[in-house]
Amino acid sequence: MGAIGYLYKRTMINRAKMALKKPVTYLYLALLLFYFLALPASLKVVGQEMGIDSALGMAGVLTVIAFWLIPANLIAYAKRRGLVYRHSDVHFLFPAPLDPKRVLLYAHLKTLLLQVLVSLFAVVCGGVMFHVEGWRLAVYFVFSVLIENLLEAGIMLLLYGSERIGDRQRGMVIKAAYGIVVIFLAMAVYTYLQEGLNLETVSHFLHSDMIQLVPLVGWYIAAVHLLFVGATAVNVTGTVCYGLLLAIVLTAAWRMKCQGGFYEDAMKFAEDYEEVLESRRQGNARMRLGKKEKLGRAAVRWRGRGASALFYRQLLEYKKSRYFLFDINTVVAILAGLGVSYLYQREGGFGALEPYRALVVSAVAAYVIFIFTGFGGKWAKELKSPYTYLIPDSPFRKLIAATMMQHVQALVNGCLMVVPCAMIMGLTLPEALLAILFYEFLSANKLYSLAVAQIVTGNALGATARQLMQMLLLSIAIFAAVMGAVMGMSVGGVLMALGVMDLFLGLFTIIYMVIAALNFYHIEA
Amino acid sequence: MLEVIHLTKKYGKTLAVDDIGFTVPDGQIGILLGPNGAGKSTVIKSIAGLLRFKGTIRIQGQDSHTMDAKKCFAYVPELPCLYEALTVREHLEFISRAYGVALSEEEVSSLFRRFELTDKQDKLGSELSKGMMQKVSICCALVIRPKVILLDEPMVGLDPAAIKELKAQILELKDRGCTVLISTHMLEMVKELWDVTFVMDKGHILGTYAREALANEDLEELYFSVTGQDRPLEEGR
Repeated sequence: MGAIGYLYKRTMINRAKMALKKPVTYLYLALLLFYFLALPASLKVVGQEMGIDSALGMAGVLTVIAFWLIPANLIAYAKRRGLVYRHSDVHFLFPAPLDPKRVLLYAHLKTLLLQVLVSLFAVVCGGVMFHVEGWRLAVYFVFSVLIENLLEAGIMLLLYGSERIGDRQRGMVIKAAYGIVVIFLAMAVYTYLQEGLNLETVSHFLHSDMIQLVPLVGWYIAAVHLLFVGATAVNVTGTVCYGLLLAIVLTAAWRMKCQGGFYEDAMKFAEDYEEVLESRRQGNARMRLGKKEKLGRAAVRWRGRGASALFYRQLLEYKKSRYFLFDINTVVAILAGLGVSYLYQREGGFGALEPYRALVVSAVAAYVIFIFTGFGGKWAKELKSPYTYLIPDSPFRKLIAATMMQHVQALVNGCLMVVPCAMIMGLTLPEALLAILFYEFLSANKLYSLAVAQIVTGNALGATARQLMQMLLLSIAIFAAVMGAVMGMSVGGVLMALGVMDLFLGLFTIIYMVIAALNFYHIEA
Repeated sequence: MLEVIHLTKKYGKTLAVDDIGFTVPDGQIGILLGPNGAGKSTVIKSIAGLLRFKGTIRIQGQDSHTMDAKKCFAYVPELPCLYEALTVREHLEFISRAYGVALSEEEVSSLFRRFELTDKQDKLGSELSKGMMQKVSICCALVIRPKVILLDEPMVGLDPAAIKELKAQILELKDRGCTVLISTHMLEMVKELWDVTFVMDKGHILGTYAREALANEDLEELYFSVTGQDRPLEEGR
């Protein structure tokens, strides 16, 4: 076995061994399996409602995916991005006497498992949602895992690895990829102008002959249509073109000279990737791959002394940031608020749950906050920084100063989620305010439970155990809040339920906060 | 032998290294010196094949991009980055496969013993301290049995015993005819090792100095006199 094969094999085996030792893996696997089976089943209803529960529907969905996925991959490879290398690859793999093409294929192979899983998911969807025959799905699976991968690998080798293609040519490929998108958009606009906007028009467009004539993306779509819909002159021609393209690309990639000129770009990408990973580990959800957060100029008037410095430093950081207070939690809050409002309006209410609609909003808030527990924000960073402990001030003041901005952030996010729901559902002002307060308390609970989890698990058990403990603590607080809601409901209706729920959650938040502050005293002592 | 000929490297419009050249003959230890931002890292990464550059770099007479050149070249970067999911022993196995060198159990055991890694050989890369990672990185470079070795700040993070061992290894390599190039700021650590020193600043080689030509001049004195940097005042002066 060659060095790369050995590296791939041992890495997979060791990672699997490490993962199986962690209880959280089994939880993730169970969740994955659940989504793997439950999602196609729930999508089945959507498919039936939209009238796409057939092989033609599957071809349509794959066509839509191809529209953005193939040009996006082309652009990524032309920019010499999209392949993930780590610092360890730069250290050991790049200087080694290994064919640079193999080094490229190694990075491509890292995504193979995910691709197989996605293809398997597509096959399950094909069977459950689109009622496609087994043999067609089997052929599709082989096609997507083998043929699609071969073509993608060939294109990747040519664009990423070629030393004869200069920056200008790469730029042309990027423009061509955008050109393909523009062609599809123009075709969509043309279809719309001819036929108007309705589901049938969309269907005509997705299955039209003209898009199957567009190079690369169209030819892929032709092959998909040949498989799922049956042979037509156009899709057979497109499929033949796809096959020819595959042969040409593979031959060119095979013959291409590559001495590792891409290592410089790959090394830069590896640095960016590690930076993002480290940033995520520290709880900063803002940083995105290849896009360094642009910081503007800003100033704050520093007031007070001691722990206040933490607050003003965070404020300065937020002011320098392009998105100010807003991050992934904001996006999730907005999407959740809009999603719930849309569902409410589409279904004409929550049926039997209608009297409890204010509680439904809080339940959704609890779900999204719980799911995004991993993103600790600036607080997680403060907890790790030794300077937090060195500042000459009382631990309690430090705790307040270090978390103040995140409380403000949570309040803004809470309003962004609850206000649309309140308007669409016709919640009363006290109900809306209590729902926002619930969001605020639960977000605060998430912050302080992280510190408590750190105390309970210590440093020896690692990040996963800490996160699990934090989720457990958060679950306990949510359970107490639910009990409060039940008690409140039995005494005086929804408003009382919201009030007691907030009270219980608030109490737990204060308990966690006090424990976190006491731990500060303990650490500093 | 390591030859750097008319090496030029630009990052965008910034000229990092401007038409430099130097040679380290077989069995000699070269030291690359220079203040921060002098261009040392660019030179090192160019030699290691990590950057595109103008000019020529030859390793044992072969263009540095060729497989033959890479096979006899070892590189120890400043910051060791091990594979998180490979054990120490698996790192060595991987390197032996990549460079096509047969590695006996005795050789591996001897290396582990010399660098005090015997009890760490089954630890994963992610479980090691910085110093341990550096030791593994050095071991990986040594198992190649290189003819040219490039060490970038190799002593950072090592304990005194490991530094002593590394120095011994470098002298052994030299005795075997291996070409060694070390980039470091720790002048004290290499003062008894060097044969030739290249002092860089602002992308240029300011001077090349052979040990025998300098009689008893101290490496530190040489560095400050060539770069024109102010020598920090020592306590008590």
